[in-house]
Amino acid sequence: MEKVIEISDLTKIYPNGRGIEGINLDIYAGDIFGFLGPNGAGKTTAMKIMTGLIKADRGDVRIFGHSIRDEYEKAMAHVGCLIEIADSYPFLTAYENLKQMARYYPDVDDQRIEEVLQLTGILKYKQEKPRRFSLGMKQRLGLAAAILSRPKVLILDEPLNGLDVEGMIEIRKLILHLAQNEGTTFFISSHLIHDVELTCNRIGVIFEGKLLSVDRTENILNNYATLENYFVSEVERYGRISSSAY
Amino acid sequence: MAAFLAALINELEKLSKKKKALLALILSLAVIVIGQLLVVGVRSGLGIRGAGSVEFPVLVLSVVINTILPLFTALVAIDCFSGEFAHNLIRITLTRPVSRFKIFAAKVSAIALFILANLLLLLLFSSLAGFLFNANSASFSAFGKTIVTYLVSLFPLLVLALGIILLTNIFKSGTTVFFVSILAFLILKAAGILFPQYASLLVTSQLDWYHLWLSTSLPLAKILRTFLLMLGYAIIFFTAGYYLFDKKEF
Repeated sequence: MEKVIEISDLTKIYPNGRGIEGINLDIYAGDIFGFLGPNGAGKTTAMKIMTGLIKADRGDVRIFGHSIRDEYEKAMAHVGCLIEIADSYPFLTAYENLKQMARYYPDVDDQRIEEVLQLTGILKYKQEKPRRFSLGMKQRLGLAAAILSRPKVLILDEPLNGLDVEGMIEIRKLILHLAQNEGTTFFISSHLIHDVELTCNRIGVIFEGKLLSVDRTENILNNYATLENYFVSEVERYGRISSSAY
Repeated sequence: MAAFLAALINELEKLSKKKKALLALILSLAVIVIGQLLVVGVRSGLGIRGAGSVEFPVLVLSVVINTILPLFTALVAIDCFSGEFAHNLIRITLTRPVSRFKIFAAKVSAIALFILANLLLLLLFSSLAGFLFNANSASFSAFGKTIVTYLVSLFPLLVLALGIILLTNIFKSGTTVFFVSILAFLILKAAGILFPQYASLLVTSQLDWYHLWLSTSLPLAKILRTFLLMLGYAIIFFTAGYYLFDKKEF
């Protein structure tokens, strides 16, 4: 299977000693990869390095074979992302916000902008400025921006933040629709274990900056009653290993 | 090139949608109106000629080049950089397939175009006001020189903008950058007065280099020396600003 993302020895330690250390991970075409971990585990740090927002102390990320450090434009050509909060210019309308991003992709026209606004359920707010949007609507606009260029890879950090139940279901359906019909590969971080269980077909557990395990969801659910049980078991196992080391 | 052009169009769109840019243009026009009223008032009240049709735009330039033009250049530069850093809006651009160098260059180019537009608008309206009120003293050659003085003023203002952009990449808060810029501007202006022998080396003194272009015989050596000094400052500020921008984490 085609390797879409290759993460090798990825390390970033902040002055407070937190961060990520020695992460090695491959994401393959068609994966809906769920990156699970508690707050402060290093999920966002890894995703920020993957999208060039911060630089790694060591290691590299290659997307479709292009290094994010040395060939940024090529690496990001087929990537859409939503990191932490869905940012948008408050003084531009939803349409103008998407138009700003569309200019970087020759194939994205006004029709596509309308299409993604429709897909994310905010078409009727097209001419409104996001400063008046609720958190959920801002998140939908962020998702519209992420899928705008019909990316082959989507890197989404907590994509369901701020969404109500209806919104969560819609976005989950959208993710599955894109994966099945357009062959989009996903790298999703979330603290909503149940949602990851319903959406992702591969799961990686990150804890205290280290990647503890990676497995297919079906294998996990064959051995554990729920994904939550698996997560707790992996974290406890890591706790025992690291405490026995002292 | 396509990515740079997209980034540049985006920066220009953002600038045009902000109230600061509009306010800068309105204030620039207000200076012309007030200036012309003063000239007319002095002429009719005291019987002094004041400024002729081609002298009036230069008079306006001499006022705005040391006041509102640097002020709005600073505001726009701070908004383009610190404003986007503070609200993480810069991430919208950074996560697109465009290098940080192109983003930085597009922002600098947009600021340069803003300054140029402001200068051209000032030139247009001050010339119109000059011709309307003092049409009898107009001449084509003098008007040509006036155009040159406005166009060459872009360069020192751009150097100033690059210096402020460097500050936006050093300090976290836009407010801090604004006050540091004002303070640095005043200190450099005072230094130019206190130490006139070194004034030609200061960025703030170079704002007045348009005077060199008004002479009947152009002081080419002095123009070249001043130009090279400004070019040196521009290269240093651009390189240092980009270095810090590239290292920044968001």
